[in-house]
Amino acid sequence: MIKRWWSFPKTNVERTAIVLGCLILLLALVGAFLVPFDPMKIDFRAKLQAPSLVHWLGTDGSGRDVLSRLLYGAQLTLASTFAVIIVVVTIGCTIGIASAFIGGAVDNMLMRLADIWLGFPPLILALGFASALGASLEAAIWALIFSWWPNYARLSRMVTSDILSQKFIASADALGVPTHRKVLHYVIPNAMDVMLIQIALDISAVMLAISGLSFIGVGAQIPAPEWGAMIADGRSYVSNGWWIVLAPGLAIFITAVSFNVIGDMLRRELDPTSRRR
Amino acid sequence: MRYVAQRILFSILSLCVLLFITFLLSHVVSGDPAIVAAGPNAGADKIAAVRQEMGLDRPLLVQFWIYCSNIMHGDLGTSWFTRQPIASDIIRELPPSLELVFVAMLINLAISLPLGLLTARYAGSRFDDIVRLLVMAGAGLPIFWLAIILQQIVAGQWRLLPTAGRLGFQNRDFTGATGFTLFDSLMQGRFDVFADALAHLVLPAFALTLLFTAVGVRITRTSMIGEFRKDYVVLARAKGASEGRIMVRHVFANGATPALTVFGMQFGWMLGATVLVEEIFGRPGIGRYAVKAVTQSDIHAVVAVVFVVGLVFLFSNLIVDIALYLLSPRKHAGA
Repeated sequence: MIKRWWSFPKTNVERTAIVLGCLILLLALVGAFLVPFDPMKIDFRAKLQAPSLVHWLGTDGSGRDVLSRLLYGAQLTLASTFAVIIVVVTIGCTIGIASAFIGGAVDNMLMRLADIWLGFPPLILALGFASALGASLEAAIWALIFSWWPNYARLSRMVTSDILSQKFIASADALGVPTHRKVLHYVIPNAMDVMLIQIALDISAVMLAISGLSFIGVGAQIPAPEWGAMIADGRSYVSNGWWIVLAPGLAIFITAVSFNVIGDMLRRELDPTSRRR
Repeated sequence: MRYVAQRILFSILSLCVLLFITFLLSHVVSGDPAIVAAGPNAGADKIAAVRQEMGLDRPLLVQFWIYCSNIMHGDLGTSWFTRQPIASDIIRELPPSLELVFVAMLINLAISLPLGLLTARYAGSRFDDIVRLLVMAGAGLPIFWLAIILQQIVAGQWRLLPTAGRLGFQNRDFTGATGFTLFDSLMQGRFDVFADALAHLVLPAFALTLLFTAVGVRITRTSMIGEFRKDYVVLARAKGASEGRIMVRHVFANGATPALTVFGMQFGWMLGATVLVEEIFGRPGIGRYAVKAVTQSDIHAVVAVVFVVGLVFLFSNLIVDIALYLLSPRKHAGA
């Protein structure tokens, strides 16, 4: 199994992306312990300092250290991204798998609903939902869950009905294997690969959406070092403090691209038929 | 014709889901709409009166019915930060946004289609690899960040294009019949205004489209790549057709349908993404209107924008799908 994983990256770009991806995850886990300064501490005497040996990435308009905020924010941004993905995968797959097992009219109705839901622009749906809840990072997370679930319902329903039409399911049926065993031991292990590809590709999409919502003002609120909120905060200083906007934007960009490359690689390695468009 | 009827039925179903979602947002998720509608300083008796007036003491199903019939009459409620009916606000703000999305879409198609076609033709080559890398980089760019950077560098430092706004100072009094500045200026023969409006559109449109273009190149490539392996391409080559002719007349004409469907959907997604761009470039439009409404916690205005964007999305998809069907009836015969 491990050996199989090692053979995945084929180019230097992919190797770099994996290293960066792991590094970013590591920083999100331990970054909060590495910060050189208090990320929330306002010090107007130190405001708008360009990158230097003391403040590697400079300070923002309220004199907060940008590097410290970036490291702290890694946790906030990535934790919310993963929160969205974990909940969405759980809810979406439950609906999708159930739909495939039940079949008939219920299946048809659920999938039509998912189709329609999936069509609407997710950003604007999430915007509506988050502002209905009252702007906060939690609201943005719930909002994205609300607009993202059909992706996984659709995908898991497709994969599950693929699996259910296989011969080993027919023999399991003949042996009288109960449904919950079929789900746990037949469907989920076989659906894992396809789900993993989608998850890797969605990490960047969800992260861009969360930071976008925070940028507009319906997500994390300004003193919080969420990357999108940091860009919104830095906007008013952009002409005399370009580093305040540049650093979090680059952080989002590098993280998103790394996970895109990883997702693309997983698709090539795990899904040779490339079922998805 | 059966396909068209089915497609329209699906759109009507989608409209019902959209109505249901926006109802959910404005009446259930947001807590008590009466408190919102009565304004921040209302007392308990005022709230109770508003509740009765809005029919909020009645069952949810009845409320949903009232909500739908209001919308069918063109009543989206009153915004309490502009003090205007939301419907008239949106009618005023929609043209600049549609104009922006339209220009963005043109840029998108002008990049996506040729690049997608060429990378499909030369799949596996060095050129394909480079484009793939660029595409993945493009798909990771935060739209709002790109907008700020472009504004600072191209407009601020190089002074190549205007920084913000919809028209330059000298044209600030220009008005037209439709609200679409590009169209109005052409109609009135004011080419200077047209050029000015276009110059103001380039940067926001480019920032808006880049993320979608990254997806567009990818989709075009995948929908074309299979076509190159088909027999008719081999035949065309055997008959000595030029490579350009094969690409444009044969492969593109046959493989474009799935790609064009996605571009139709992107139109609505882009309209939603204007919330990330218009504010930065100081352009009027429903994106900026929505952001303003959010900061004023004017939930009804926000939900109205969600509804209108959803509506435009449904329409653009319907039109693209029916147009594609009419252009190539063979493809949809079984659908």
